[in-house]
Amino acid sequence: MNTSETSQNIHDEIVLLLPRLRRFARNLVRNPHDADDVVQVAVERALQRSAQWRRDARLDSWMFKIVRNAWIDEVRARGRRDKLFLAEETGENVGTEPIESEITNMSVQAAMQRLPEEQRTAISLVLIEGLPYKEAADVLEVPIGTLTSRLARGREALQALLGN
Amino acid sequence: MSIPDETLMAFADGELDPAARAQVELALLEDPSLAQRVARHVALRQRVRSAYASELTEPVPQRLLDAARSQAGRTNNVVNLQAARDAKARDAAASKTAAYGWRPAAAIAASLVIGFGLGYWDLYRDQTATPLARGADGALSARGALAKALSTQLAASQSASSEVHIGVSFLAKNGEYCRTFSLNGPVSPSGLACRHGEQWRIESLGQSSDAPSQGFRTAGTDLSPQTLRAIEERIDGETLDAAAEDQALHKNWRK
Repeated sequence: MNTSETSQNIHDEIVLLLPRLRRFARNLVRNPHDADDVVQVAVERALQRSAQWRRDARLDSWMFKIVRNAWIDEVRARGRRDKLFLAEETGENVGTEPIESEITNMSVQAAMQRLPEEQRTAISLVLIEGLPYKEAADVLEVPIGTLTSRLARGREALQALLGN
Repeated sequence: MSIPDETLMAFADGELDPAARAQVELALLEDPSLAQRVARHVALRQRVRSAYASELTEPVPQRLLDAARSQAGRTNNVVNLQAARDAKARDAAASKTAAYGWRPAAAIAASLVIGFGLGYWDLYRDQTATPLARGADGALSARGALAKALSTQLAASQSASSEVHIGVSFLAKNGEYCRTFSLNGPVSPSGLACRHGEQWRIESLGQSSDAPSQGFRTAGTDLSPQTLRAIEERIDGETLDAAAEDQALHKNWRK
């Protein structure tokens, strides 16, 4: 009854963000069902901690950070990342090994899967979710220079994987 | 001039500050191969973005909707008070910036930037309902929230959180009223629209150059070079002050 308009707003705003949160989570987690689990955990945490969200900060960045942290916790807790989560090794060599024509028609999604996690998340936040560098760096808790170089390397690798 | 690829990438992403951007624009004029590299960055960005666009339209599972709507972790009053204070502060800041001036054009590299501007616009487009329509004559005109803001929003009284920010308004030499605008969004397009009959025709389009991370910009203070040039070409006298702007609005932007 005494739910104010503002506290109602955060629920509504999170509902609106759900498609983007799911999309981001799927770039972290291979299995879409697991990705949704991570989003669910993140949404629950966000609502518990909504007092920590400053209204002048972007809700999307704040939520992406919680999604990513939920994923990291999940990886640690389960200790089964090879099974449930992207094996990072698959992407580790991108950019250092020559990438040849066998993959000329690779889809963007397939190419993304081959990137190391740190490059994939940088690409995901900036190119797909449209965050400014500063916001993306904040989500990943890295300096902006680190974000920029991950982004540059990720783009280079994608460009090579996608051809042209 | 040699420009590191990371700088070109940041330029393509609209992340450079005005000084660094001007430097890149100059270099682009001197070296067309740089423009190609920038175009590659823009193209990749668009390709990646559009590859993932369809995921946004997938139905969201009920369990996630339920989690988001759950009142279990309901926010307390502290956050609400803070929110109210912040909103108030933003509104106050918005009205303080009401007296805009427009910067004289540096007017460099205008033709190059216009292409990138349109690229940015495509990026923006799939995030919200498109605010532009292309008429039979090929001219772009404003629609939706942008058209509404151009017709009804006064620079002096607009809210900091509104989707569209109006910058300056002026009367053009051809007798049309023109207004600059910028949109809140990840790539913050900005431009100039002039009232042509019943429509707001887009005369210039580009990207606002300051980082959009604050969610609110002082519209009109940081327009792209081609928009500044477009203003210069058209303006008859000075920009409208708040009273003249209000009057023009009440005459439905007819002279």
